[in-house]
Amino acid sequence: MNILIIGNSAAGTAAVEAIRTRDRQSSIVQLTDELHPLYSRCLLSYYLAGTISRERLQYREMDFHERMRVQLHTGKRAVELDTNRQHVVCDDGSDYLFDKLLIATGSSAKLPGNIPAGIQGVCVLRTLDDVETIREHVRYARCAVVLGGGLIGMKAACALRECGLETKVVVRSKRVLSQMIDDGASQIIGRRLLENRIEVLTETDISEIRSQDHRLVGVETDQGQVIPCELLILAKGVHPNTELIQDTDIRKRQGIETDPYMQTSHENIFAAGDVAEAFDITTEEHAINALWTCAVQQGRIAGLNIIGEQEAYDGAVGMNSLDICNSPLISYGITSPKDGSRYQMLVYEQPANNVYKKIVLKDHRIKGIILLGRIDNAGVLLSLIQRKADVSAFEHELLDDRFNFAKLVGYGDASVLEQYRQW
Amino acid sequence: MKQIFCHIEKCLGCKSCELACAVEHSLSKQLVAAMREPVVPKQRIRVELIDEHGTLSRYRTLALQCRHCGNALCVQACISGGIRKDEDSGEVRINPEKCVGCWSCVMVCPFGALVRHEGIHRAMKCDHCPDRETPACVDACPTKALVYLEKDGVRTRDVVL
Repeated sequence: MNILIIGNSAAGTAAVEAIRTRDRQSSIVQLTDELHPLYSRCLLSYYLAGTISRERLQYREMDFHERMRVQLHTGKRAVELDTNRQHVVCDDGSDYLFDKLLIATGSSAKLPGNIPAGIQGVCVLRTLDDVETIREHVRYARCAVVLGGGLIGMKAACALRECGLETKVVVRSKRVLSQMIDDGASQIIGRRLLENRIEVLTETDISEIRSQDHRLVGVETDQGQVIPCELLILAKGVHPNTELIQDTDIRKRQGIETDPYMQTSHENIFAAGDVAEAFDITTEEHAINALWTCAVQQGRIAGLNIIGEQEAYDGAVGMNSLDICNSPLISYGITSPKDGSRYQMLVYEQPANNVYKKIVLKDHRIKGIILLGRIDNAGVLLSLIQRKADVSAFEHELLDDRFNFAKLVGYGDASVLEQYRQW
Repeated sequence: MKQIFCHIEKCLGCKSCELACAVEHSLSKQLVAAMREPVVPKQRIRVELIDEHGTLSRYRTLALQCRHCGNALCVQACISGGIRKDEDSGEVRINPEKCVGCWSCVMVCPFGALVRHEGIHRAMKCDHCPDRETPACVDACPTKALVYLEKDGVRTRDVVL
């Protein structure tokens, strides 16, 4: 069988590993539009901050592709897909036939329309090349502005601060990490940022870029403030790289639609990772969860089904883990529901100690969690979300720091005992 | 692969296993010397309370550590390649040189078996004591509640849970 995988990050790599656990025979060709063989995108901010060396970005052995018997073709962007002939063409004219295809093309940084291209010092943080460009500018820059207060924006801001730059974050919403956490947790994070001398300008947008000789010298906000800076990081989120399927009959909404086997509407074509829409356990809708962990799980499932193993995906839970200004933060699912009346919230907070915990319940089932400052046993709570467990018997104990695996045993949850014996 | 199991009817909750684990993972492997080491060693096993009705009217204890899961979620979640499954032994291992302390493994482990060492900002967990024949916690258990057995050969009477 000829397997073609487009994409060489979390989902593509997980698919390769899954395929090779059971199938050493099939030919695997993997394409990437980047020039680097394999690195972890999530580690880029650590590399930018100088916490780790460039070598440590490599998250598998140097001979990974050789050992996995994968022909990796770098610097090739797949631009044409013929679903009938099962044929892919790349930008350099090379072409590939496949029996099974995995589309794991990932996502790209969203670029705000009002920011002109080609100005030195205006960057995104997405690929290794992006980081190398940012590092060039860090050498001479004194001030940096980060546009966007999401996960990438926060990681970028903390990394730049670590590099010694004066750093400001511009966010359109009322608070940072508004997609990931609620107001209470966000306030604590906001204060931690300030203590680390990262200033956050909320309900603000950048209206204009100031440059001299195509080099950034400052930004102007819609509040009329002018911030001199030599570096601007655009962190306004990502959009899925679905260009390849645009002229095909493969169904998509925002991302490529998939079934529980990560199969698209075409039986020999699979999709996984940031480009794919999969069932979300907490929202009970199909959505993109552009997250490392989800991409790995989906890539694994796609890989197994490509070789006919028939393993279904339980569904995604949006989850993030972040260590921000020395405060560990983990969140899952729906943390600040829009229609609050249908949900029950449990909150425990110690703002002075930077501790904030919240559980969001609906019909006695956990739909979302925020853990700030105290994250041990977080995964035990996640398992309750994933199993859609009725937690009414121990609801009052969920926020206790001592809530652990043994609690579930104590409440007679037979499935966890099975887990203990079998796993 | 061998695994550590806890016979909860025999577990006293004395925490001898926790102490032995921390000492085994110190530089000196001696209790008194270990306490004076610059990085205070931490245990990777934890005695947890099984409280039957949430009232402490009847409780038992469980000494819990990494289960070395077949389809380990921590391996999938790790962003640095620092947690890998050893193909030969089936053990899940952490490479401290690679860990960046992002806590993605803590986020997904259904047993809460990943331990954060805040001092060195690294995740840790049970490694079955590679320098020993039998893990230190099993040797230290005064009631033989902890046993080290082949995963497939476990009988219910060995591990009442």
